[in-house]
Amino acid sequence: MLEQQIDGVRRRALERIQSAANADELEAARVEALGRKGFLSNASKEFGKLAPEERARAGKLLNEAKQAIETALEDRRARFDRDTLKAKLESEWIDLTLPAPGIRPGSLHPVTQVQTEIEELFISMGFTVLDGPEVETEYHNFDALNIPANHPARDTQDTFWLTNGLLLRTHTSPVQVRGMQKLGPPLRMIAPGRVFRNEEVDASHEHTFYQLEGMMIDRDVSVAHLIYFMMTLLSSIFRREVTVRLRPGFFPFVEPGFELDIQCLICGGPGCPVCKQSGWVELLPCGLVHPNVLRMSGIDPEEWNGFAFGLGLTRLAMMRYGIDDIRLLASGDLRFLNQF
Amino acid sequence: MRFSYQWLCELVEGTHPDPVELGRVITMKTAECEGVNVFAPHLARVAVARVLSVDPIAGTHNRKVDVDAGVYGRRTVVCGATNCRAGMTTIYVPPGTTLGVLAIETAEINGVRSDGMLASGQELGINRDHSGILDLDGQSFGLKPDWTIEIDNKSLTHRPDLWGHHGMAREVAAITGLKLLDPVQMNLIPARSEPSPIAVAIEDYTLCPRYSALLFENVTIQPSPLWLQYRLEAIGLNPINNIVDVTNYVMAELAQPMHAFDAEKLRGHTIYARPGQAGERVLALNGEWYDVGPFNVVIADDAGPIAIGGVIGGGESAIGEETTRIVLESANFQASSIRRTSSILKLRTDASMRFEKAQDPVNTLRGLARAVELLRLVSPGIRIVGGLADAWQPKPAPAPIRLPLDWLDRKLGRATPAAEARSILESLQFGVAEAGPGVFSVSVPTWRATKDVSMKDDLVEEVGRMIGYDTIAPQAPLVATTPPPANEERAFHHRVRETMVQQGFTEVYNYSFVSEDEIAVFGFDSADHLRLGNPIVADQQLMRSSLLPGILRNIRHNSKHLDAFRFFEIGREIHSSADGLPNEIPHLTAAIFTRETAGTQLFELKRVAECLVGDAAVEPVEGGSYEHPARAGVVRAGGRDIGRLFEFHPSLVEGGRAAVLDLDLRALESAQPNERRYKALRRYPASAFDLSVLAGARDLAGLIQARLAELAGSDLLSIEFLRQYEGSPLPEGKKSVSYRLTVADPGRTLSSDEVAAVRARIIEGMRGLGYELRV
Ligand SMILES: [Zn+2]
Repeated sequence: MLEQQIDGVRRRALERIQSAANADELEAARVEALGRKGFLSNASKEFGKLAPEERARAGKLLNEAKQAIETALEDRRARFDRDTLKAKLESEWIDLTLPAPGIRPGSLHPVTQVQTEIEELFISMGFTVLDGPEVETEYHNFDALNIPANHPARDTQDTFWLTNGLLLRTHTSPVQVRGMQKLGPPLRMIAPGRVFRNEEVDASHEHTFYQLEGMMIDRDVSVAHLIYFMMTLLSSIFRREVTVRLRPGFFPFVEPGFELDIQCLICGGPGCPVCKQSGWVELLPCGLVHPNVLRMSGIDPEEWNGFAFGLGLTRLAMMRYGIDDIRLLASGDLRFLNQF
Repeated sequence: MRFSYQWLCELVEGTHPDPVELGRVITMKTAECEGVNVFAPHLARVAVARVLSVDPIAGTHNRKVDVDAGVYGRRTVVCGATNCRAGMTTIYVPPGTTLGVLAIETAEINGVRSDGMLASGQELGINRDHSGILDLDGQSFGLKPDWTIEIDNKSLTHRPDLWGHHGMAREVAAITGLKLLDPVQMNLIPARSEPSPIAVAIEDYTLCPRYSALLFENVTIQPSPLWLQYRLEAIGLNPINNIVDVTNYVMAELAQPMHAFDAEKLRGHTIYARPGQAGERVLALNGEWYDVGPFNVVIADDAGPIAIGGVIGGGESAIGEETTRIVLESANFQASSIRRTSSILKLRTDASMRFEKAQDPVNTLRGLARAVELLRLVSPGIRIVGGLADAWQPKPAPAPIRLPLDWLDRKLGRATPAAEARSILESLQFGVAEAGPGVFSVSVPTWRATKDVSMKDDLVEEVGRMIGYDTIAPQAPLVATTPPPANEERAFHHRVRETMVQQGFTEVYNYSFVSEDEIAVFGFDSADHLRLGNPIVADQQLMRSSLLPGILRNIRHNSKHLDAFRFFEIGREIHSSADGLPNEIPHLTAAIFTRETAGTQLFELKRVAECLVGDAAVEPVEGGSYEHPARAGVVRAGGRDIGRLFEFHPSLVEGGRAAVLDLDLRALESAQPNERRYKALRRYPASAFDLSVLAGARDLAGLIQARLAELAGSDLLSIEFLRQYEGSPLPEGKKSVSYRLTVADPGRTLSSDEVAAVRARIIEGMRGLGYELRV
């Protein structure tokens, strides 16, 4: 009899708990089932009337009912909490397609980007990076590079002269001289920087542009070594194998001297306006350092020798990014510069 | 320098590569070929024609001409040339031919069907004569289309021998393995025993190492034969008359410039080669007067200058129609003196271009010998008078160069068999002898010895270019693994760049040049600036001593297109210094432009300064002429001034406001904290309290903060700005500045009484300093 009642109470309580729509209804269900005046609280008082074996069974049954009801209450309560939290969070919806506020990174100048890449490559191969002055002496820019006064090679480098007899360096090569004098052999160095030529400015000519000079002095440096570094440099810059050709070129500070051409990246060889229909683009003048240059910097050419090269950073940046007007680089126009 | 393919082929025996291929191999082994172009392709189509009849066409100057045009048969053409007459032989151009830009087609002219045309020398590309149709006058006509090979002059700078076809032919022979022919017959020079009717006096053998000359008589001045004119025309020289054309021909063939004087116009019998004298002037062939001086070589007769040596002949001694006797000069001049002369006189000639490359003194006689042969062809009956005049103090031949072959291999980075090295050198006409096992003794031909080849390194190039640099495999060197010396300054600049970019700034590059007008805006003194002696444009002649003019230009330019922007430049200020090189000071100059006027740009830049160096602080100062008078300050960090923060004077910037942070990068670098040490984490809680200070509206918050911190003393853990307030209920001209102070003791927890005592001490201290505190 009692057992059936416990069972019934349990069933009804579980039903009410399940159907409770809110915390109040749930509380009412709890009070009815487990409250001090509730059935289960009073049921144990009835136990005295029972035989001992029945008492034990009823007690077990009662505990089970209480436990089941408490578990159900707990579950239901947790679900209410979850639902409440869910509803609250739901109301916090935001539109993620709105633009994010704050500053965006700016851009490094395209020449800086190319230059930094090459600096890192050469540093990784044990080269040091040197700087030299933009205003130079005639000695460092010309004489020490085996270009004495009235040498015809001076004609090919239209020079800006200052009224005090100094000049604006026409190439980064004077840093070679300063590097040899400062560090001595063996030496591996590069020198990127701004150079100047007294030229009318148009879409492909600038009076101010950037070069990167490189030099290695050691024992028995060969043309094969020079080619190795040039190939490594080019495949790193263009991130692919490039076809090159090395041909004689005259620069007074190297002997032998070379022009390194790469096959035109625009047309791939048949010829186009960029390569002036030749299929090749002149990119890297280079050569073995002239013994006179070594000697003038206090290095014995019988003991040491080396190679040197000069890379047109400006031209390289233009090729890399497809820039067709050199004047844009010094325009300071952010509509252009922000693209990099 | 333009080369004629036919001319080169004439000097090399055998089967020649086609012109385009020849251009390619010359590029790969000798000098850069800039283009190979067909010359006078129409000559493949034209035919010699005999004029049969010439009939006037009523009402025009044109005439109807019937010709017998050889393979083309009888043709009728309309011709306007006045020299066209029956019986003459000329050149017929058939329809379908293109002469330069002119397409020849059958056409109806003056009612006559004209089937082709008769052409002038100029139209045919043989000479510059357009006065009538070409009159063959008994000459045969075998001219064929040629090809021109254009070689970059820059790549011939070191090769005096390549300024003539014979030199290039020597290269072609060496490259192709064919035989080089020599057009010079030295036995045409009169024997030394014969006395010369002219004397030569060289005053300075350094300036003029050699002067050779021959006197000719019975000269006829007339046009050169067509083949000679065509040769000169193909390489861009203007045919003038037989004598001048021969001198030009020899120059183009042997790289030996020559000059012919009218012997009748020379005064005396001596030719002097001497430095010019102050005040001397020379009337040149081009009709211009030139002032010469001690730096020039002057060629003179007894009465005065008759030419500027190595550069240009004189007008007064020039040959003309009436000339019958000539003195033919073939001389040699010092390269540097010629270059200097030609650049001072601003006169570059075919002769000066060659002499400034250091020509071979041995070549003067070869030039004369070749000229003798040609003069006999172009001026029949011409005779040499007497013997050779030749002043020369030959220098001893340079010692042979020792070339160890293992050294050669180490230089090239590949092995070259001895036989191959020898054959290459010999094909270039170097003398090769064995100086020992594996060592050559190489003698240099005179035409390479003037400047070009003097040491074994020069021979590396000769062998290397001929074996082909493409046969050398790339090879990584074996070197010590020492780390390279670091360039801290450059690495720092790169870090600064990265920071700037992360803060939204874009990098610009500006020129190093500024104009007087630009610096006037800034009140800079142009006398403090280094100045270009030869600017491209007059308004870009000062070296920038500040990056600001460029930055202002950038602001003005970009504000036309953008409402808000920020950018920076890292570049060098160039300051003149009393001695030696100028001071080049790297600067970071950053700018922010927006339409706002409240000064937010300044605070943004101040924040950026703190990103660059943690303890950056700004001390307000009164703005200078280009600065906003009330928005400028000196930036300090690490105990030193590192630059300036300011807003541009609003009158300089339209449509908004621009603030600038201008930092000396060396100062910024040395202001960086050089060492960081860990401090133990605090174990006891700290206590915080807020204080609001009532101060004058223009009292500096930074000063108030410093006072508070000072008074808090060693108890202070941190002080944080909370807010600043002006307005009701505060009295006019006052502001309230609030700070949160956090105090603590490293060894224990401060009691509330102790904290209160610190606070009271600060309040009392501030009141003592005259501040009011709102507590
Ligand atoms: Zn191309």
